[in-house]
Amino acid sequence: MLNSFFAACGMWRLNKVRHKAGGHANNLEELRTKRREKERALRQARRDRQLVSKRLLRNEDEEQDTMEVTPGEQDVVTLFQKLHHGGTEKEAFLRPLSKALRNPSAQLTFIKLENSMHLLVGLLTGSDARCRLQAVRCLHELSHSTHTSVASACLPATPYLLTYLSGQSTKFTELCLYTLGNICPDSETVKERLLAQGIIPALAGCIQNHRHNLAVVEAAGFALFQLLQSKDAAQKVIPTVLASSLPSQLLSVLTPDPDFGLAPAIECAWCLHSLTSSSEDHRELLAQGALRQCGSLLVSLGGAVADGNTDQGVELLVCPLLRCVGNLLSSCPAETLHSQLGGVDLVAPLCELVVALIHTLPALARETAWVLNNLTAHSTESCSALLTLNLVPRLLELLPFSQGINTMVLRVLANVAHKKKEFCIQLAELGLLSAITATLKMADQDIVTLSLEVLFMMIVSSPQTAEQFVSQGGLSVLEAIQYNSDGEVRRRATYLLEQHILREK
Amino acid sequence: MLQPDLLQLMAMGGSQTRNGDEEEGFREAAEQQEEGNPFTFNPQLLRLHRDHELFEDGDVFRHMYLQDLFMSEAEEQPAPSVSEFGCHISGCRAVFSTLDEYEHHYNSLHRHVCCSCRRSLPSARLLDIHIQEWHDSLFTILAQKQDMYLCLVEGCGQKFRTSQQRKDHLIRLHKYPPDFRFDKNRKEKGTREASREQRTNTAMEAADDVCRSEGVCEVMCSVESNQLEQEESMETHASSEEAAQFEDFSASAQTPETNTEQLKPKYSYRVPKTVCFGHGSVRGFRGQRGRRK
Repeated sequence: MLNSFFAACGMWRLNKVRHKAGGHANNLEELRTKRREKERALRQARRDRQLVSKRLLRNEDEEQDTMEVTPGEQDVVTLFQKLHHGGTEKEAFLRPLSKALRNPSAQLTFIKLENSMHLLVGLLTGSDARCRLQAVRCLHELSHSTHTSVASACLPATPYLLTYLSGQSTKFTELCLYTLGNICPDSETVKERLLAQGIIPALAGCIQNHRHNLAVVEAAGFALFQLLQSKDAAQKVIPTVLASSLPSQLLSVLTPDPDFGLAPAIECAWCLHSLTSSSEDHRELLAQGALRQCGSLLVSLGGAVADGNTDQGVELLVCPLLRCVGNLLSSCPAETLHSQLGGVDLVAPLCELVVALIHTLPALARETAWVLNNLTAHSTESCSALLTLNLVPRLLELLPFSQGINTMVLRVLANVAHKKKEFCIQLAELGLLSAITATLKMADQDIVTLSLEVLFMMIVSSPQTAEQFVSQGGLSVLEAIQYNSDGEVRRRATYLLEQHILREK
Repeated sequence: MLQPDLLQLMAMGGSQTRNGDEEEGFREAAEQQEEGNPFTFNPQLLRLHRDHELFEDGDVFRHMYLQDLFMSEAEEQPAPSVSEFGCHISGCRAVFSTLDEYEHHYNSLHRHVCCSCRRSLPSARLLDIHIQEWHDSLFTILAQKQDMYLCLVEGCGQKFRTSQQRKDHLIRLHKYPPDFRFDKNRKEKGTREASREQRTNTAMEAADDVCRSEGVCEVMCSVESNQLEQEESMETHASSEEAAQFEDFSASAQTPETNTEQLKPKYSYRVPKTVCFGHGSVRGFRGQRGRRK
C-alpha cells in the first residue's frame, strides 16, 4: 500500500528531475555533491536561525515544449513593453515572460521596470482567465527569488492572491498559495501585511473549500507552515491560528491518502509541529484530540518503518508527528494522559521505532527516545508496560550509541527505576546493572552522571544489587570515578561507595 | 546536550496521583532525606522549543525535501556514532573505543599506584613491596639489622640485607635482566619531599599537578597530606606504626569523626595507609577529610 504513495503530485517534481538526469553515473555523482553542499548550507542556516525554503511549482505540460525557445532568451524588457502596449495577444507574451522570469537577473530587471507590477496585477485581476493564470505564474516565478526586494515588490498583488483563495479554480489556487508561501518569510512588512489582510481565515476557508483536492491542501499547508516560521509567530500568528478552524482541519488531513500520497499530511504535520513547539499553549490542540490522532498515526507509520519501508519518505511524516506527540505529552498532566491518548498504546511502537531507526536515521531515533522519556516520566503504567512487554533488553542494546541517544534511553530507564523498587530489581535482572557497569566508563560526563543516579536507585532498592555490582567488578569503576574531574560526579561515586557499598548496614 | 535556555523542565513530581501502593518510589524513600545525599534524579517532562538543537537534523531533512533534494537512499545517511570510553582519572585524557581497551588501560596504569610517589606498579604485590621499601620508615630501621629485602619472585620467599643483594639474587637465580624496571633503587628522599611539603594541602579535589609513573600514563592524585601525615605519625606514634599499618585505615586515621566501625577486609588483604588505588583504596583516599592540622 505504501508503494503507491508516490504515484501522484506530491513527489512528482523529484521524479521528473530524476528523469531528466537520465540516471547517468556522473550526473548522479554531481547530484550527490550538490546535495551535500546544500545540506551543509541548510545546517548552517539553521544554526543561524535563518532556515527558510521556497517551493516552485512547475508546469506539468512544460515537458513538451523543450523544443521551444529556451527561457531567458526572450528579453524581459521587450516582453514587458509588448504587454504594456495593449492588444489582445497578451497571453502570447505572458507565457514566455513567466519562463523568462526564472532567471534571477531577469527577475530583478523586471521589478525595476516602471509599472511592471501594476501591469501584472492588472492582468491577474482582469477578465481574461487565461491571462490570470499566466500572470499568477509570473508572480510565482518572482516569488521564488532569493532577493527579498523581489518579494516586497509583489506586495500589491497580495490582497488579490488572498481573495482568490476562496475561488474554485484549483490550479490557480494552488499557484496563489505557493506564491504566498514563498513571499511571506521574506520580510516583516510582507508578513504583517498578509496578516492584516486576513491570510489566516483565508487559509482556513481555502482548506475547507478544497478539502477534497489534496494538491491544494498540500499547498495551503505549505503556506501556513511558512507563515508559522516567523520569529514572533508565537505572539502574532499562533493565537489567531489556534482560534480558527485550522487546528481541526490540519488534524483531519493527517491520515495519508493511499492514492495521492504523503505530501499533504507532511505539510500539515509540520504545521502542527510548528504550533506545538513554538507555543506552550496546547489546550486547543489537546481538546481537538491531537495527541490521540498523532499517536495512532505514529503507531501505524512506525510499523511501516520497522518493516523497512524507510525509502518512501515516511520519515518525513514520522518526524513532525514524533515532535507533536513529544511536546503535547509535556503538557499532559499524568492523570489525563490515559484519556488524552484515547487508548493508543505508544510504548511498544515507540521502542520498536527507536530500534528500527538507530542505524538508518539516528537523529530521528534520538527524537523517538525523547518522546519515550515524556511518556514514561510520570506514568507508572507506561513504565510497567516497558517491563512486561519485554522491551528493556532492546533498549539496553541502544546504550552504546552516543550523541545523546544513550543519555536519553538511560533517562527512560531511570524513569522506570524511579517508580518502584520492584521495578529496579526487575531492571537489574534484565541486565541494566551490567550495562551500567559499562556506561560508567564512558567518556561523556552526562552518561556517567546519569549512570550513577540509576546505580544509586538500583542499589538502594535491594542489598543483593550492591553485591552483584561488586561481583561484576563495579568497585574499581567507582574508585576510578572518585578521581574524575567533575566534582558532582566524584561526590556521587564517593557517596555510593561509603554509604551503600562498603558500609555494613 | 540539552541546553538550559531552550529546555523547559517541568518537574511534576507533586502532581502525580498516588494510588497508595506499598512499594515506594524514590520520592518518598528514606534515603532521599539523608543528609549529604547528592543524588538528584527525578523524572522530567522535557519540552523542546522548535529551535532546539535536537531538532536540527530533522529540520535539515525537511528542508532538503522542500527544495527537492530529498534522497531516501540509506547510504546517504550517516551511521550512528558509538560512545567512547574515557579514563576517569583526572588529567589522564586517554580515550578508548572498546571496553576492553579501557579495562586494560586502567588495570595497567592506574590500578596499583603508590600514593606517596605516584609510581604505578604492575601488581598489588609489587606495590606492597615498593611501599614497604620506599616509604616505610620502620622498614628502613629494621633493615639495618635484619634481612628485609624480599625476593620479587612470588613463592621464593628469600630475604636479603640490601637491595643490591636481592638484585644479584634475581639475576643469578631467577635470570632476571639487570635493568628490571620494577626494581629501581630508591632515589634520595630529600629533594623531592622537601618540595612536596611546601605545597599546600589541597582538599579532596584532584590536584593540578601531574605525577609520573612507571608506566606511560600520567596519573593524578593528591598525596601531600598523606605524606605529611605519615611524617607526623612517624614522629608521634612510632611504636604503634607497625600495628597501624595493618589495621583499617579509618581506625588509625586522625579524623575528627569517630569511626569505630571496622571495615571488614571483604575485598582484599590488609591495606597499607599509603595505598590510594586498588581494592579497598577508597579508605585511603577518603582520608583527606580531617587531614589538616
